[in-house]
Amino acid sequence: MSFPQQPLSPLCQLPAGATARICRLTGSDDFCQRIREMGCGEAALVTKISGNTTSLCQVNGTRIALNHQAAMHILVELLPSSAR
Amino acid sequence: MPAQERPPVYAMVGNPNCGKTTLFNALTGLRQKVGNYPGVTVEKKIGTAYSQHGRPVPVIDLPGAYSLAARSPDEAVLRDVLFGRREDTPQPDRIICVVDASNLERNLYLVHQILDLGRPVIIALNMMDVAVRAGLRLDPRQLEQELGVPVVPCEAVNGRGLVELRLAMSRSALPLAKHRWDVPAPIAPAVADLQASLIEHDARPPLIARAEALLLLTDFDTMRVAGSRQLSARTAELLAGWRRRWAGEGTDWSGTLIKTRYEAINRLCAGVLRRTCETGPSLSDRIDAVVVHSVWGWLLFAAIMAALFFSIFTLAEFPMNWIDSQIAALSGWVKSALAPGDLRDLLTDGVLAGIGGIVVFLPQILILFFFVGLLESTGYMARAAFLMDRPMSKVGLHGKSFIPLLSSYACAIPGIMATRTIENAKDRLVTILVAPLMSCSARLPVYLLMIATLLPGGAVPAVTKVGIMFVMYALGTFGAFGFAWLFKRVLFRSAAPLMIMEFPPYQRPHFREILRQMIERGWLFLKNAGTIILGISIVLWFLTAYPKHPDPAASPAQQIAHSLAGRTGRLLEPAIRPLGFDWRIGIGLVTSFAAREVFVSSTAVVFSVEHFAGGKRADVTPVRTTLAAAAWPDGRKLFTPLVCLTLMIYYVFAMQCMSTLAVVKRETNSWRWPAFQTLYMTGTAWLVCFVVYQTGRTLGF
Repeated sequence: MSFPQQPLSPLCQLPAGATARICRLTGSDDFCQRIREMGCGEAALVTKISGNTTSLCQVNGTRIALNHQAAMHILVELLPSSAR
Repeated sequence: MPAQERPPVYAMVGNPNCGKTTLFNALTGLRQKVGNYPGVTVEKKIGTAYSQHGRPVPVIDLPGAYSLAARSPDEAVLRDVLFGRREDTPQPDRIICVVDASNLERNLYLVHQILDLGRPVIIALNMMDVAVRAGLRLDPRQLEQELGVPVVPCEAVNGRGLVELRLAMSRSALPLAKHRWDVPAPIAPAVADLQASLIEHDARPPLIARAEALLLLTDFDTMRVAGSRQLSARTAELLAGWRRRWAGEGTDWSGTLIKTRYEAINRLCAGVLRRTCETGPSLSDRIDAVVVHSVWGWLLFAAIMAALFFSIFTLAEFPMNWIDSQIAALSGWVKSALAPGDLRDLLTDGVLAGIGGIVVFLPQILILFFFVGLLESTGYMARAAFLMDRPMSKVGLHGKSFIPLLSSYACAIPGIMATRTIENAKDRLVTILVAPLMSCSARLPVYLLMIATLLPGGAVPAVTKVGIMFVMYALGTFGAFGFAWLFKRVLFRSAAPLMIMEFPPYQRPHFREILRQMIERGWLFLKNAGTIILGISIVLWFLTAYPKHPDPAASPAQQIAHSLAGRTGRLLEPAIRPLGFDWRIGIGLVTSFAAREVFVSSTAVVFSVEHFAGGKRADVTPVRTTLAAAAWPDGRKLFTPLVCLTLMIYYVFAMQCMSTLAVVKRETNSWRWPAFQTLYMTGTAWLVCFVVYQTGRTLGF
């Protein structure tokens, strides 16, 4: 299924309650490796639960807290509500 | 015993929060040995389980990790033990992978890496109940068929599945995993190249060598810890060559490899895992709505912290007084049983005072561990770190530094030991450097004595005294945050720390587990700090007892003035005179280097306080009266309110604890950081005291 291309935005800017797909990681190799290993790599679906500075997200049934700097390095594409 | 009859050594591995430790405790009961991996403050736990036939089976509980690509000392220890890189721990024969069934894919990532090692593996599919509640249906048999290794569903918390796990562990032979996955073709030559070198130059068995080659090629920032074997020069050179080549080509093999592993895991899970129904928000989700709420969350946090401090400072008082009286009684007994002399003094003033000085803090430390254990086992600690992340980020640290700093209010030693969960080495070091600024309970007796001298008797309301105490705590806390900010800007310039932290689901607290942890950690504290303080107390006793005063009838005060400690105090006087301290206070400063509370007892001796029972005690009245009368040779009062205040401020900042320095040395693996810590803390103490005292004098106080 394909959807119209959405502009990428950092995870910290995702509104609470929205679900998005992780498209690109921009941090250091170190950070990218760890976040991919934790299952938050490219193509994973992430739902923002709360937070602007420190984000609380749901990925694959786990709750993960990310601080602002970490969330800035995760670029996501907002999914239209019909696709969730 | 022939080799084949030796029981296999099991290692237990798993992600953080997968219930690994609960399972380990359930399997091994109280038959555990807790220690440290030499050179790193990572807990080393070895227990004994019993097979179905009653044979003892050694089990090593390894620290939780998400991956073999280590990012913290904890994870580095796990990796090094599994690869057989540590001299101090045998390479395990078999591995029990504990997997959180409610989060199968992510947990299988580590399993996938471990299967590369080619060792026999048992998978303990833990938290089956949580998975069912989350609307997941798992088929352990299918997983067993797919992987070819025993898969045991269990609920460690409720004791389910333990018999089956023991049965699996009792099997004389375990099948090897059907672990087939294709390493991406372009990196295969590099893997083969490194594998050959690891076999030849680093004496690794072939399968371990392959797994290690895969890891080395993709783990860019390889974390090294003390006590682990280094790579041979030849292998290191080969590795650097491949890395340079790939860096030039601009390919990200690390990302590709992780993706390949996850694809293999997803294929595996397709047949094993089924989502039966869409469940609404779980209980944990509903609790989180309040606990991390921007208003309610903070109110709850404040209430929990208030309860914690209230317990540490009020509830602990009763057992502390009891311990004091027992030590005093024992000391009295030794005094009556032995003839006067150096041996008796060494026993009472050196050994017993040293033991008393450390045991007396045990109640506070146990209460702290109880709260930390309670908050950890319920899952609240991660939420507290989440809340604290924002204020901590203002000084360049992240939420994970909060727990060590909190522990440091009781004692900096457990605080420094708790920093090992912080992945970033620089953040960890900054947290270690500032942790001793949090006012620990050893400062309390000094504050109490000075406040009592400053504001004698019932003339002033208790609120004023509490207020001064609060100011001292606030001063230390702001000092810690201020220095963290400074160090992050000047010494350890690095990008803002990135924090990724999993929220474990809320659980009912398991008091048996908490009790066990309290005992374990309390014992470790006694062993680590106790041996050092005891040793130093004996040395300090020697310094105050020798050389002997020529007149055998000299009073204790004259003896101290004549001793090495007294001479050091006099030597020190020019340096501390600008702060309003004389050489007698100097002796207190020198002796309290063993532990801050020693200041009270040594002051009592130096100012020859009569009717003083030794140790840390609530009743400081006799000392206070004598101190109030103490004077400079020219007749000026020594302990003016300004000097009392300055002395308290000195203790807020100065690095006056040998045990902390020893732990910092062990943690950072060099004497450089403890030396730096002493310099910056005591330097700050001197400067602040100088400014306060001289300003106070100028203003006429």
